[in-house]
Amino acid sequence: MSTASTAGADVRRDIPPVEIENVSVRFGAIKALSEVSFRVEPGTIHAIIGPNGAGKSTMFNVLSGVYRAAEGQVRFGDDRLDQMRPYQIAGIGVARAFQNIALSGGQSVAENLMLGRHHLTKAGFIAAGLRLPKATREGKVHGTRVAEIAEFLELGDKLHTPVGVLSYGDQKRVEVARALCTEPRLLLLDEPVAGMNAEETARMAEAIREIRSALGISVVLVEHDMGMVMSLADQVTVLDFGRRIADGTPAEVQRDPEVIRAYLGSGDEIDPAEAADAAATGHHTGHHTTETPGTPS
Amino acid sequence: MSEATATKARRSSAGGARPLPGTARGRSLLKPVLLVLALVVMLALPLYVEEFWLRTGFAVFGAVVGAIGLNLLVGTTGQLSLAHAFFLAVGAVTYVFVSGESGGIGLADLSGLGLPPLLGLIAGVLLSGLAGLLFSPIAARLRGIYLGVASLGLVFIGQHVLNSWTSVTGGFNGRSAPEFSLFGFTFGNTDPDLFVLGVPFREAERLWYLGLVLALAAYLFARNLLRSRAGRALQTLRDSEVAASVMGVNVQRYKARVFLVSSMYAGLSGVMFALSIGSIAPESFGLEVSILYLAMIVLGGLGSVGGAALGAMFVSALPLIFQRYADTVPFVGGPGEGGLAAGEAARYLFGLAIILVVLFEPAGLAGLAGRFRRKARDPGGGRTTSRSSAATSSSTTSVPSDPPAQGSTT
Repeated sequence: MSTASTAGADVRRDIPPVEIENVSVRFGAIKALSEVSFRVEPGTIHAIIGPNGAGKSTMFNVLSGVYRAAEGQVRFGDDRLDQMRPYQIAGIGVARAFQNIALSGGQSVAENLMLGRHHLTKAGFIAAGLRLPKATREGKVHGTRVAEIAEFLELGDKLHTPVGVLSYGDQKRVEVARALCTEPRLLLLDEPVAGMNAEETARMAEAIREIRSALGISVVLVEHDMGMVMSLADQVTVLDFGRRIADGTPAEVQRDPEVIRAYLGSGDEIDPAEAADAAATGHHTGHHTTETPGTPS
Repeated sequence: MSEATATKARRSSAGGARPLPGTARGRSLLKPVLLVLALVVMLALPLYVEEFWLRTGFAVFGAVVGAIGLNLLVGTTGQLSLAHAFFLAVGAVTYVFVSGESGGIGLADLSGLGLPPLLGLIAGVLLSGLAGLLFSPIAARLRGIYLGVASLGLVFIGQHVLNSWTSVTGGFNGRSAPEFSLFGFTFGNTDPDLFVLGVPFREAERLWYLGLVLALAAYLFARNLLRSRAGRALQTLRDSEVAASVMGVNVQRYKARVFLVSSMYAGLSGVMFALSIGSIAPESFGLEVSILYLAMIVLGGLGSVGGAALGAMFVSALPLIFQRYADTVPFVGGPGEGGLAAGEAARYLFGLAIILVVLFEPAGLAGLAGRFRRKARDPGGGRTTSRSSAATSSSTTSVPSDPPAQGSTT
């Protein structure tokens, strides 16, 4: 895709597209996703946006194997993500950072990050318990790489600090760093800047851009901060009530009348320019701002 | 990634210039010295201490092994189990059956395989582990208190089997446990007669060393495990199963493994219990035992190996010590006298201690010990700065890489 290559990244050969085809998810009688399709091109930053309850998190849970799709397929190259268990999906290089931080608070940053190396390492119970040389060596090698990744996300001086005492913004960065530690080919970021201030948001956006350009991997993110989405994403998929209502470049999506309606309730009697502005900021009457907006309703 | 190598270079130079080398060396020296000192004291103890303390010590060592095992399961992995007494029983009964002799004592005809005690011990550990492994699929379906109650079922089954399968367990009255021996060296009073520095080394002295070795091995294995890839997976599994699985941990397999390891610990502890008492009986493996083990690990500090050992010491030794020194403790009278009975007093104190510890130090005795350690290191009190804590803790945490090796490379 041309938009991807113009971003200047070398797209790695081993990164296939993600193809989501007619995916439906039901919880009892409620359809959380109905027949959603879109495609994540290799090496792009692809945003999934939508109002609360639109099915964004459900989509992420399907991508990472936490939820099973009732219908449809999710393909990542030759692998069928919709038929795999979460740990198997992690094993083929799909990593996820959680929205509501899911780190072990009592453990240090380094220990949390080392979990990301789980599928790349082998030491079992016996090797670890007896401290066999191969287990020690493995830990050392991967510890070096973990330190590099921590440095990359400005966590280098906090490696041995328990995660629980870090600031919220730091914890969010540990989440992303842990996902990166799995050496992913596809990185799923669930609201990476939710709750961050303007400066932290800008730093995180910069980090995501660098991840993509340095590693050449695909990034899919769910985000409420429209300013960030519009400046960062190559491609945007908009969900509403579990359906895909738009899919395209940020500029295309911003002009889409369906999107404007979804964000404003009923968009018919509203001036289109104002509506586009509102859609872009995620506020009903907001101006362009990089500050985190409240969750749009 | 070119910047990766750049950051690596930056990092190693920063590591070389890392301040506080004196602190790091002072700490890294202090700890081994203390450990060696403790070990020497433990090794020399049988020369100076009377039999009561050695027997108590062996019972404590057995409890330490069991508590460490339960803590791996409950504290580290978050799988509540009330079945620990059952796994202890499997270990103990297997040992007694495999290494005991057939024959009739009084009413019951007992059967036994008469194999060497070492084989009995190994069989006890393995069979108990197998029992845990078989139970582990239940943990895939149930969580928290529901898992706890389901595991309770095992204790009831165990009680019934212990009472009714007389030819193996000895039934209601129980059955005596064969003396332990290792390649012809018995852990009994004679055979061979042994004197060290003029002190006769009889059963109590010999068992003390056996217990010390087993408890130490159990402790080291668990500690290494927790600081490893597997330990991190288990801890994350406790904090969030979804996060663990998304990060690549096969949750079901890890639950099965931790049940296996935990019940192997319980099996070993059960064998040691049989050796310590010299016999087994159904009442030794009731629900109360499961609960006492839970108390040990909560009191000691959930998820901490050292804490489990401390908690086990506290819970298992306290009643024995109270019993012995009943007359010297205020308000406690001997049998038949006024005042509290010794066992009762121990229970009051023990109950009070649990309440106090949980109330004031949720991290348990391990948390208390950690607090003193920090105070000793930083007498100024208060929080250490992130910089110095990062520098000092690098010598205590083994993750991500081995600290001594890291020190030598930078």
